[in-house]
Amino acid sequence: MEVLSCSVDSQYTHKIWQEHELSKMVSGGVPYPMLSDTGGRIGRLYGVYDEKGGVNVRGRFLIDPDGVIQAMEVLTPPVGRNFAELVRQVKAFQHVRETGEPTPAGWQPGKKSLKPSPDLVGNVWKVWKIGE
Amino acid sequence: MSCAEGNSRVMVGREAPEFTASAFVNGGFKNIKLSDYRGKWVVLCFYPGDFTFV
Repeated sequence: MEVLSCSVDSQYTHKIWQEHELSKMVSGGVPYPMLSDTGGRIGRLYGVYDEKGGVNVRGRFLIDPDGVIQAMEVLTPPVGRNFAELVRQVKAFQHVRETGEPTPAGWQPGKKSLKPSPDLVGNVWKVWKIGE
Repeated sequence: MSCAEGNSRVMVGREAPEFTASAFVNGGFKNIKLSDYRGKWVVLCFYPGDFTFV
């Protein structure tokens, strides 16, 4: 999984932020490319550029190996993301891609996924319990 | 996919809009193209700005 971060700051500001702050939070600094989106050109493409504030809001897009968006989440600036839920979603989408089996609510790696068939219609309750 | 200004729609199940951007990575500057990442899972994260608190 590759991470790309993106804000309206220049790549020069990214460098200073990495060197002066992030490297003190994460040993060696963050390992992923920090993209510069001055003017919000990319943010507009993804519908996350706030024209009034002149910044990109907290949008997160999970893009599969074919370049298709599989998940997206957009938050207003004051609330940070939950990394654990992102990882769960990535693993679930990878599971679906590999097996073709959809994952029920709250699915975790190693838990049961479903095998859709005419027989499963109306019978999910027999093969899957909430929290299973 | 229609990409006309104001007409493009980002949706799950649809192709992610292509872009190029200058980036800071591994101590240097580099141009990044989304399509360079075909074949890989990508998490694209937008945030308001460097040196903000959250």
